Amino acid sequence: MKHKKWKDGLFLAPGFLTYIVFMIVPVVLCFFYSFTNWDGFSPTYKMVGFDNFVELFQDAAFFNALKVTAIIMVVTVLIYNVLGILLAVILNGNTKLQNFSKSALFLPTVLSSVVVAFIWSYMIQTDGGVINTIIGFFGINPIDYYSSPLMTIFMMSIIICWNSLGFFVVIYVATLSTIPVEIMEASKIDGAGSVKTFFHITLPLLMPGITINSILSVAGGLKQYDHVKVITGGGPGGTTQTVTLFAVKEAFEYNFRGYSSAIVLVLFLIIIGLTTAQLIITKRNEVEY
Amino acid sequence: MKIAGKWIRRILILLFSLVFLIPLYIAIVNSVKPYEEVIKSPLGLPQAITFDNFIDAFNSSKILELYQNSIVITVVSVALLILLSSMAAYVIARRRGRFYKMLYVFALAGIMVPPVVTLVPSIKTLASLNLLYTLPGLYLFYVGTYFSTTIFLYVQFIKTIPVSMDEAATIDGAGPFTIFFKIIFPMIRPCTTTAIIFLSMWIWNDFLNPMYILGIKGGSTITTGIYSAIGSYTSQWNLVFANVILASLPIVILYLSMQKRFMQGMTSGAIKG
Repeated sequence: MKHKKWKDGLFLAPGFLTYIVFMIVPVVLCFFYSFTNWDGFSPTYKMVGFDNFVELFQDAAFFNALKVTAIIMVVTVLIYNVLGILLAVILNGNTKLQNFSKSALFLPTVLSSVVVAFIWSYMIQTDGGVINTIIGFFGINPIDYYSSPLMTIFMMSIIICWNSLGFFVVIYVATLSTIPVEIMEASKIDGAGSVKTFFHITLPLLMPGITINSILSVAGGLKQYDHVKVITGGGPGGTTQTVTLFAVKEAFEYNFRGYSSAIVLVLFLIIIGLTTAQLIITKRNEVEY
Repeated sequence: MKIAGKWIRRILILLFSLVFLIPLYIAIVNSVKPYEEVIKSPLGLPQAITFDNFIDAFNSSKILELYQNSIVITVVSVALLILLSSMAAYVIARRRGRFYKMLYVFALAGIMVPPVVTLVPSIKTLASLNLLYTLPGLYLFYVGTYFSTTIFLYVQFIKTIPVSMDEAATIDGAGPFTIFFKIIFPMIRPCTTTAIIFLSMWIWNDFLNPMYILGIKGGSTITTGIYSAIGSYTSQWNLVFANVILASLPIVILYLSMQKRFMQGMTSGAIKG
């Protein structure tokens, strides 16, 4: 088929130009700034070589932010994928209860993270918080969810999961529904119990869903900002601060734009590394049927 | 045994649904109670429904202005993204050759980039274009940010539409613009629905980017406006919840009215990829 090159250009140019100016160029600039001491508004700045990175790898605040991010990522990835698969298995079907439950689970995913964080900071108050009131019915003493950074980080991970678990469950339910019923029945006829069927049939066939969900959940876990910003603001003393929160603070509160660029560049490299590793591992485990 | 299993399953489902519904119930009931009642009985139904909190929220956080900003930002950004990405996707999906393959890979590269990487440099770019702290600046930033995801959805979808459609139209004398807008664009509507759902959720709920790209001068969106409004209440939870409900109402109504499409859109977008 013949087509005019310049007309193709009209189709491609507006989108690609914006994409280049607001995606490709910023990534290149971020890389460039990470080797400078730019403060965000001065017209001049100096090239400082690897100084930002040397400083970064000696900065205790950075390592703490990495640790916080890693904890949030691990807890959320486990909940999204382990609990997510179990929920998908019991919710896979079309009874009234199952459909109602799917809608309930999915509802929080359309809410803004800021809204969710406000609702939950009320829920987890020590005095008069709803969670403590509910566990009080079972005779459990009130818990101070801000008693240690680890406890707070853990609670924030749970809150993040409450916000998005529905999305991951819906993806798993959709993957489950693509598995032919005959396979499940064949396995039952062959005498496999439900546990055996789950591990030998369901789980391997769920691999495409696991690939997508694990990549989305790992990358999502590493980018956390909103919930933490609202619930603790990174405090007390930066102990619950994620890498993104740390980078934004350095960029906009202290105006260390060069240093902040180095932080987000390291985060970016971690995300690329983990995503590539996941793609390689999960692709190897996908099965055909 | 089998019946017991069925009941355990039902009870589990109910329990989990409760975990997801209780916080929403709390937000709703406490938004229509006076302050004292929220403190005394946070779990109970309201003794008498009051809308004072909502009136207060309307007056103090300029909710209408926030709605207007968020609606304009979401509608314009999503429309731009859909138009620009589907047009580019059409050419990429239809033309053969190394150049177009490389162009596609280049377009997809942005999927992995976290927005925080592009935020600081984009602020500088926007400032030099005189677009910092303006709505158009934010639209352009969103087009750059979500171009990769949107073009990906469209290329996958357009490839499933037979080329014979285009060929027939060409024989009839139609140019590429006519073919795209009259024939292809209507046929890719399911994909457009998916894109609208994803993009409007992300953009409506976005927090970090509007905070710094619009700043104080450029106006607030629902999320940034609610954030600063609630920050000033500290522990006036009745007002907090009224704000929370007002901020969520449009997107929840949208969700409830097209629930099936939401779930289908989400899964078709993710599974086919």
